[in-house]
Amino acid sequence: MGDFSQVETTEAAKQNPEYAQALTDLLFQLADDDFILAYRGSEWLGLAPHIEEDVAFSSMSQDMMGHAVMFYEMLEQLGVGKADDLAQLREADAFRNGILVERKNGEGDYNTDPHYDWAYAIVRSYVYGLYKQVRLESLLQSSYTPLALVSRKMMTEHRYHLMHWQVWLTQLANSTDEARKRLEAAIEKVWKDAGELYQLGANADAIVRCGLIAGEGELKQKWLTLTQGIFEKAGLVWAGEPGVPEQRGRHGQHTPELAQALATLSEVYRIDPAAGW
Amino acid sequence: MQTQMERSDLTENEKMEAFLAKIDRGGKIEADDWMPDDYRNQLIKLISMHGISEIMGALPEKEWVPKAPTLRRKLAIMAKVQDEMGHGQLLLRVAEDLLAPLGKTREDLMNDLFAKRLKFHNVFHMEAPTWADAGVIGWLVDGAAIITQSMSLDTSYAPYARALHRICAEEKFHAQHGESIVLELAEGTEEQRQMLQEAITRWWPSLLMFFGPPENGTITSNQSANMRYKIRTQTNEELRQVFLKKYLPRIFHLGFTVPDETIHFDEEKDQWVYQQPDWEQFKQIVKGNGPRSAHRLNLRETSYEETKWVRDAIMSYGRHVG
Amino acid sequence: MNKETEVRDDFFIYEVFSQRSVSSSFVHQFSLLAPNKEVALAMARENFLRRETCFNIWVVKRDDIYGLSPEERPFLERLDNKSYRETRGYGDLQARWRHHREQYEEKQKHAESGS
Repeated sequence: MGDFSQVETTEAAKQNPEYAQALTDLLFQLADDDFILAYRGSEWLGLAPHIEEDVAFSSMSQDMMGHAVMFYEMLEQLGVGKADDLAQLREADAFRNGILVERKNGEGDYNTDPHYDWAYAIVRSYVYGLYKQVRLESLLQSSYTPLALVSRKMMTEHRYHLMHWQVWLTQLANSTDEARKRLEAAIEKVWKDAGELYQLGANADAIVRCGLIAGEGELKQKWLTLTQGIFEKAGLVWAGEPGVPEQRGRHGQHTPELAQALATLSEVYRIDPAAGW
Repeated sequence: MQTQMERSDLTENEKMEAFLAKIDRGGKIEADDWMPDDYRNQLIKLISMHGISEIMGALPEKEWVPKAPTLRRKLAIMAKVQDEMGHGQLLLRVAEDLLAPLGKTREDLMNDLFAKRLKFHNVFHMEAPTWADAGVIGWLVDGAAIITQSMSLDTSYAPYARALHRICAEEKFHAQHGESIVLELAEGTEEQRQMLQEAITRWWPSLLMFFGPPENGTITSNQSANMRYKIRTQTNEELRQVFLKKYLPRIFHLGFTVPDETIHFDEEKDQWVYQQPDWEQFKQIVKGNGPRSAHRLNLRETSYEETKWVRDAIMSYGRHVG
Repeated sequence: MNKETEVRDDFFIYEVFSQRSVSSSFVHQFSLLAPNKEVALAMARENFLRRETCFNIWVVKRDDIYGLSPEERPFLERLDNKSYRETRGYGDLQARWRHHREQYEEKQKHAESGS
């Protein structure tokens, strides 16, 4: 990337069909990742380990959903559809999020008998957050100027989130045996899905050729180096090469857990999408 | 906080006289000021119930957080429920400081809640089966809460007043959030209007109950103690009338009704005359026998128990590192 | 540790202070429960400054704050006899300067008409 000439406006992007398609494909990945993980975060409302943390955690989910909205609105400007429709009316196979972000928070439903796993919440948020950091840094150089601009805006909030996850990871890793065991189990679970995060989907070549973001190899390397440093500093054993899930989320293959999430997210809107809400 | 030793040359009677004289001239009491046990107990009862109601009040709306019908509404209701938890935090901190000399902590408050010794507002025991219920909670339940909280802004207990000032500032946003949902539904399709009418009908008795039983000329010892101590300034019925005067006309302006055919405004008495809700049912609800009491207590208790390891862990880290 | 603020599950009370901008002073916000200062700081902004802009935050363990007892606080009140350290104690200055200016101008006028 870098040698592609800068595309300053939405109108200019639309004039090149290959470029517009690559941009659309990437934006869905960005939007869906943040949207679905923010949804999982919102399910924790009222259930976090400590009241003060419940309040703090909710802000992270709100910010993340706010970022998703910014990406959906960019898609809307490209003429792909209304932001609310894109978020709520697509079927699961149109979603391009990684499998990691759609996994349930634990057993049970957010409203009935939830048995949620705080260690998984922390590790997933942090591991995804570290990838998002690398991704945002790369997007600062994106050939699509509006994307570079929103990425810069998101960066400040996102760094604040990373500080938060850092405190939790360090403390859980260096506390009781039980916490350590739960944390290691959570890392193992997250790591099975984490290798999909840096994938750019079926249109990866065009996305990179258009200079929208760095290639998968570079994203992967930067993210792994960053993550390894943080895990080792927290005294955690480095898990090595991350795995990939059975389904390929970036290609529209998903677990039933996403379909369930989408049914919940769109339950009211689907009553009458043409109505004002 | 640390301070030097307390003076002990006054008798209990002299302290009591000084205390009453102070609140009578509009003085405020701080957490470390001398206060009669009765005053402390009244405050603990009131503020812990208020605080835990905010925490439990997050749960019926939480049901609608992911389901909110637009991206903007999803963000807004998430922020609103977060605020409720935040209000719970403020109030519980105030209650905890009052409980500290009795050797009690937040953990005791939680255990009191699970054992149904600590009660929470009747409205949060009720079902919220549709999106319109989320709107009605924001509009009318929060509207009712603003009325009771505003009354207490001038309370004699300074830490409570400081918490309430923070809370009331945010409640204005909550009321607007609720009004916005309700107006959208009221201006919407037939189906949306019907959903809203059903929610208003469903919440009406709970809204009347929210302020507590009417005094019928005699106010309870609790209420009179609270008024003597300048913890509160108005009776249940006075507050309910403020609510009815503000909100009934608005319900009618939108073309909706309440399930009370005889309700009317008595110009001479300058008050609304309404059918009493079932106060026996009210007692049952606040005892923890409402339609959703068990479900919501279970949510709270399960999450509290199952995250104990987290609190233990971070406490242990604190001990290692200081 | 002060017995009054001891929490049985051993979480501590932290007082939260914040600074609105680089030119403003720190002000007290409220208190929260946390096991240690790092967690307290991580939760501070969202609990008390969800809407306000914020430039910096401090958390201080309540036990580390030393202050006046309720009995001592009334002694902070001062006699109102210290005008010498306030501008209102120097209200005569302007009139005196005016007097000197007028005298001078008067003299100038005389000098001019005399020459």
